[in-house]
Amino acid sequence: MRPILERYAQPLYGTVILPRLGDAASAEEVLRDTLATAVEKIGRFTWQGKSIYPWLRQIAINKVFDVHRQSKRSRRLADALVHELPAETAPDTHADAQLMADQERRAHRTKIDQTLDVLAERYRLAIELRLVQELPRDACAKRLNVTIGTFDVLLFRAVRAFRKNFGSDVAEDDHGD
Amino acid sequence: MAIKRDDDDILTGSIPAPEDEATPAERAHAKTFADLVDKTLAGRTPPAMSADDRALLEVATVIRAASGNAELAAAKRNALVEGALRQAIGGKAAPTGDVTPIAKARAKRTPWIVAGASMAVAAAALLLWLGAPRRIHVIDHAPAALQDNWKSRPADPLIGPITRDHAGDASARLDTIFADRLDGYRELRMRGGH
Repeated sequence: MRPILERYAQPLYGTVILPRLGDAASAEEVLRDTLATAVEKIGRFTWQGKSIYPWLRQIAINKVFDVHRQSKRSRRLADALVHELPAETAPDTHADAQLMADQERRAHRTKIDQTLDVLAERYRLAIELRLVQELPRDACAKRLNVTIGTFDVLLFRAVRAFRKNFGSDVAEDDHGD
Repeated sequence: MAIKRDDDDILTGSIPAPEDEATPAERAHAKTFADLVDKTLAGRTPPAMSADDRALLEVATVIRAASGNAELAAAKRNALVEGALRQAIGGKAAPTGDVTPIAKARAKRTPWIVAGASMAVAAAALLLWLGAPRRIHVIDHAPAALQDNWKSRPADPLIGPITRDHAGDASARLDTIFADRLDGYRELRMRGGH
């Protein structure tokens, strides 16, 4: 079972768990719990010519919501990234984890872009440069023609504005998947 | 009355326009947040921070993850898989990054198994020896007297009188005595004595 777990660990972490939690340490714990649960309950998985990934993904999502419930945190991040991905891959397509993960990553990115689009241009640029391209602060400041201190303020406001708008169209209590 | 959530405190207020001048307090908070982002990008997210900063940092992490900047290092991934397997078989999952692979753990037990088997063989041999007919060994000569440097003896001749000036050199005196005793021990062992 180890090769299966190793194969699916990255897509589960990078596209299912971390984007819904926003905290690497918690995401790693959830990933470990997800894989442990999968090992414990592998007997319940019925192979029907479909990838095991959707089953693992569903376990991961349930664990994410458990974390939100236990820590009494807002589910806003998780809810903001609810996507109508197929719960199981179609038998005739044999879509694999990578395909589903790519699809989910694109869906996440679309939601991020939709939120960035409503922000002021300089806020959008600050987020793009620092968090998407991951340029150093001084390089970001240079690109925006401001001091590093001013760039810090821009990024701070940009992330606040992003959060305010991200998932604002999602009701707190409904989560699908 | 609406219940205020922890992570809403800093974020419900209005956000100034990009060109608005920042207050010193906002600059300070922005600098703190920028440092947190720096550390997170370097993979060193501090465990302790304010709830406000944590809420903002989570958003930053979500943006990064959704942009494909959330790779799980191979070592970390393997450690998590090991932890999951341990957890699934009833053991306590070790903290991430400090996981001994199960195969390695089995390998660690091997020397003990070999040692245990050797002990069992030795015990069986001892029982056979005890059950065998005894022969009386006659000691035809008494052991020779031991040399002085192989016996317990006072250190006074070695150290001599301790002057007041050297009263604080106890460590050096201990070293001298130890070296002397070690010489005697080595000599005894090298010649095959016990």
